[in-house]
Amino acid sequence: MRAYLTMARNSMRSTFAFRTAFLMAAVAACFQLVATVALWSALLSNGGSIGGFTLPEMKAYLLVGYVTGWLGNAIGEWTLANRIRDGQVALDLVKPIETQKMMFAQVLGGLPMELIMIVTVGAGFVLVAGPMPGPSDVPLLLLSLLFVMPIRFCIGFLTTQLVFWTQNFHGVAWARNAIGAVLSGSLVPLSLMPGWLQVAAGVLPFASLTSTPALIYLGKVSTSTAYLLIGVQAFWVVALWFLARVAFRAASRQVTVHGG
Amino acid sequence: MVAESLVSLRRNTRLYRRSLGAVVRAVLEYVSDFWILIAAGIVTQSLGLVFLSVVMARVPHLNGWSYPEMVLIYALAGVSSGIVPVVSDGIWQLASFIHNGQLDYALTRPYPPLLQVMSAWVGFNGVGDLVASLAMLTWALLRVDVHWTPLNILIMLVLMLSGIALRLALCVVANTVSFWLRMPMPMFAMTAWQVGELARYPLGIYGFGLRFLLGAAAPFAFAGFFPAAWLLDRGGYAWLGILTPVVAVAWWIFAVYLFNRGLRRYESAGH
Repeated sequence: MRAYLTMARNSMRSTFAFRTAFLMAAVAACFQLVATVALWSALLSNGGSIGGFTLPEMKAYLLVGYVTGWLGNAIGEWTLANRIRDGQVALDLVKPIETQKMMFAQVLGGLPMELIMIVTVGAGFVLVAGPMPGPSDVPLLLLSLLFVMPIRFCIGFLTTQLVFWTQNFHGVAWARNAIGAVLSGSLVPLSLMPGWLQVAAGVLPFASLTSTPALIYLGKVSTSTAYLLIGVQAFWVVALWFLARVAFRAASRQVTVHGG
Repeated sequence: MVAESLVSLRRNTRLYRRSLGAVVRAVLEYVSDFWILIAAGIVTQSLGLVFLSVVMARVPHLNGWSYPEMVLIYALAGVSSGIVPVVSDGIWQLASFIHNGQLDYALTRPYPPLLQVMSAWVGFNGVGDLVASLAMLTWALLRVDVHWTPLNILIMLVLMLSGIALRLALCVVANTVSFWLRMPMPMFAMTAWQVGELARYPLGIYGFGLRFLLGAAAPFAFAGFFPAAWLLDRGGYAWLGILTPVVAVAWWIFAVYLFNRGLRRYESAGH
């Protein structure tokens, strides 16, 4: 346990050492947020609604999307991807600790920095973006936000393992992020999507990352449905954790170390 | 004088091609990665289309632009941003070259360092970007209301090429800033790239600050939106599109100047 705590602390320190880089990443993400808000403002300028979302609701939805997009995103998968690529992962495998738990500890260590970014940008957004509804049920919202980081970690850990076969992570990460943007509801609310995409989103874990907390924030789902959705989140945490574990055991047999 | 510069242009072009060719051969060692990158490019480019088609199935016009017109703007910007990784992905490594003091290698060879850096890598995701963007562009061009003449086809091609050149210049400038920032990652350029993504939608949806940023300060709008506005002959913006070649030349002059200023700062010590 102490080893993992030390890892979390070290990764937290490294996020603070590279704070300028994180600041710039936050600024870059702000531009994205501003663009989508501008698009939705133009679309809903007549005071109407699309798919049951009014402009203030849409702004709140995008805010939740921004917050959940940061959780568990600052650190982690690239470190492992690079270690797999250059073969250093072999050293991780001989250490008396589990790689999966080690990575999770590092992602945890990134959380304080992420929370600082979220609070700074989020507060700025609320001040600038104009009126938007507040969270309809704070305890339920926090509960569902709690699951976001572990789910993102497991998806990330699983996709990173593909590097054992592909030797490169860019393509895998980009494809995963693009698919995730559609199926998590961070691009557009899932209720606006065509039926087959909604079905795909229903059976995959991505919706737990953005759609679930956003719908709970806006009170678009009844309390009982909210509990059900949170139950689905919990299911994914457990299922993906063990899936990633089994997969890593198989994948680490693939290690080939040949530098150059 | 003219003959001489023509010879050096031919030499530079040939070496650039060979340099890219060497990278392509290296990348093709990892075939699965090659295909994954292309697929990733296609999927990533389709994101905006998913957004537009989902939303505009419910709203016929966005700020006065129809769905095919929005796709045209989006695709034109996509073509110019998709070419950047294919022909000059190496520029994204400039920050790490400076960080490691690795730029020394480029300085010892008798070939412009900027061209060496630019041709140091090929991003095959750009191929996917191009495939998806050209498909969207074709789809949109067949549907927008334009009276085609040989003249406007010719002008449109010139505007597209200028837009591509401009996008490249902006990318070079954004990465060249790494000479002044002490960071191993091109964070400034990544932020600039995100700003460029805003220019994939009509400029009119943004407030004054962003319109100024995208239209003048970092004129990404010339790499897609203004040429499209010119083609569709839209009110206030139409005439601006025709300026694209001028803006592209100006930014290339600035890019080369800035890169040379940066080289003078380069200490080869790393940091």
